[in-house]
Amino acid sequence: MNIKQLMKHNETYILLIILIFSAALTMINPVFLTLENMFDLLRSSSGTAILAIGVFLVLLSGGIDVSCTAIAIAGQYISVNVLIATGIDSIALAFLISILIGVSLGAINAVFISIFKLPTLITTLGTSSLYHGLLLEVVGTKAVNAGDLPESIKAFGKIEILTLTRADGSSYGLSIFFLILVILLLLTWFILKFTMVGRGVYAIGGNAEAAKRTGYNSHKIQFFIYCYAGFLAGVMGVMHISMIRYGNPNYLVGTELSVIAAVVLGGARISGGTGTLTGTMLGVILITILEKNLILMGLSSYWQQFFIGVVIILGVSITYAQNKFQARRNLSIGGA
Amino acid sequence: MKSAAMLRLVTFKNPKNKTLFIIMMAIVLVMALAMPSKFLTSINIQSMASQFPEFGFLALAMMLAMITGGIDLSVVAVANLTGVAAAKILSASVENGTPAGTAMVMAVLAILVVSALAGLANGSLIAFLGVPPILATLGTQGLFMGLSIVLTKGHSISGFPEEFMVIGNGNFLGIPISFILFLAAAYLVSVLLNKTQQGFNMFMIGSSPVVSKFSGVNNTKVLIKTYMLTALLAGLASVIMISRANSMRPGYGTAYLLQAILVVVLGGVDPDGGFGNIPGVIMAIFILQITQSGLNILAFSPFFKKFMWGFALLLVMVLNYLLQNRSSRRKIRLMSNDTKHTDTGETV
Repeated sequence: MNIKQLMKHNETYILLIILIFSAALTMINPVFLTLENMFDLLRSSSGTAILAIGVFLVLLSGGIDVSCTAIAIAGQYISVNVLIATGIDSIALAFLISILIGVSLGAINAVFISIFKLPTLITTLGTSSLYHGLLLEVVGTKAVNAGDLPESIKAFGKIEILTLTRADGSSYGLSIFFLILVILLLLTWFILKFTMVGRGVYAIGGNAEAAKRTGYNSHKIQFFIYCYAGFLAGVMGVMHISMIRYGNPNYLVGTELSVIAAVVLGGARISGGTGTLTGTMLGVILITILEKNLILMGLSSYWQQFFIGVVIILGVSITYAQNKFQARRNLSIGGA
Repeated sequence: MKSAAMLRLVTFKNPKNKTLFIIMMAIVLVMALAMPSKFLTSINIQSMASQFPEFGFLALAMMLAMITGGIDLSVVAVANLTGVAAAKILSASVENGTPAGTAMVMAVLAILVVSALAGLANGSLIAFLGVPPILATLGTQGLFMGLSIVLTKGHSISGFPEEFMVIGNGNFLGIPISFILFLAAAYLVSVLLNKTQQGFNMFMIGSSPVVSKFSGVNNTKVLIKTYMLTALLAGLASVIMISRANSMRPGYGTAYLLQAILVVVLGGVDPDGGFGNIPGVIMAIFILQITQSGLNILAFSPFFKKFMWGFALLLVMVLNYLLQNRSSRRKIRLMSNDTKHTDTGETV
């Protein structure tokens, strides 16, 4: 691929921005470019990345999902409470319950979107309020402290797939979260690339009517998309609590803006049909670096939301302005 | 003229409004029967009338964006930003001893300028760059809310001149001033939508941007104006917000976003654009406020309300879908009957 072709891809620009940004951060504080810091970034951004995969799929199909964080917190909080109530200390059961909840809530989203043909934004705004309200009303609002948390969940967050030793003998390592993310990425990539339903996601995002006439079952595809996004949110929910070792049913909800920002930055268009997993992951990296290093740059954490807003605006402006001027150029060529 | 308008409201040109009116009356009846000593008291009615205007302005704002087929997710953030700007001026005036009148004029000016700029930003992103309204306003929502957090460092600003608090808390002949302001704004919006070129063009763009463009409508100009008006209404909401609470905390009223979308959709505005009317939206706002007060009197938790609003939004949307489906099916049946009729007429 030559440079001219490369410059047409959103991914190239994001990669450049990430590199420039990292270089600047390293100059300010050399700690940034250590393996330890990289491992830490990977560990803390895995959760966002997993939610981003789900949101990416939804965007690819021409929708938008703001309920992913509500689903993740529902899966997390219910599964942890079940574990505590029953006394069964098993991380596998936690994941199973959380994933089941995620898939069911995703299916409810799909019922509204696929069968009743409601706009995706309004549906997921509604369901996110519904799920979260119901969780707080029925399950409760009590926070789960580290002391009450099942041992297996705490232990899971500490598993490392690669352990390195520092000069002073203490060790640091690459968290298992990264492995989970890689597995889920490969799975999603495989589904999108090699399965009928995966190709269908692109197809209904590109043109729903055309996809239907080609013989794609749009109900089946939409149920798959929202259930899969729910599944990812369920996985993320348990990962999140085992990372921070504290369960609060008010956490996560409200962070969907950063997730959507990451996906949109990655070049996925809300009109559907375009976007890549690579772009999405680059978007997540950029957003995470930005969020985690504002203080390093000498700005207080108050600036976080402001910067995410700026980044989204810049990202979408570039994507859509390119699109608009491209269309105009094509039109004028066609006219001549 | 006035009686003609009244007549039109009573006879319900729009069948959806008839349904809404029946729902509204049914809810009032249920509430009144369930708690006669608490609901139909003048104090409760007065408090209801003073509670909803701050949110009513946001609903009007959302309505304008939705009629053009867009959405404005930044309304609450705009209200926060303008609220912070006004609150800074007002609280500084109390500290410096500036006359309250001057400070109030300056605060209102600040609100107008800030909201106009915010709306211009939204409108430019949407109309010039072709960014979908959802994404553009999602980004500016973060930006505006972030700015209000940065400006206040997350703390609340309080202590405004006494005179300013009359807007949110005062009564005129027993009617809350904020309620009067809301009715005036709703009337102006209705004039804008029904009597002006801008309003007509907004409906046109909502129905089909391509057709309106080829009919000679300057879509860009109309959309930028729409989002500026939207932000202006959101800014006016902040006047009532800060004067009612005598303080401004960034992040205030984030629950209003969902409720604004809920009442606008409930009021018969099509989320795809092109349809919507003020009486419907006002009735929807009343329905929401009456239900809200009822739930408050019955001491339901805020979580249950959160659940309720999500549920109500989805229910209304599903019902709209089913009704529309039925009516379009009936239309097709009628049309096929018509053709059969003419067919036989021709052969005989």
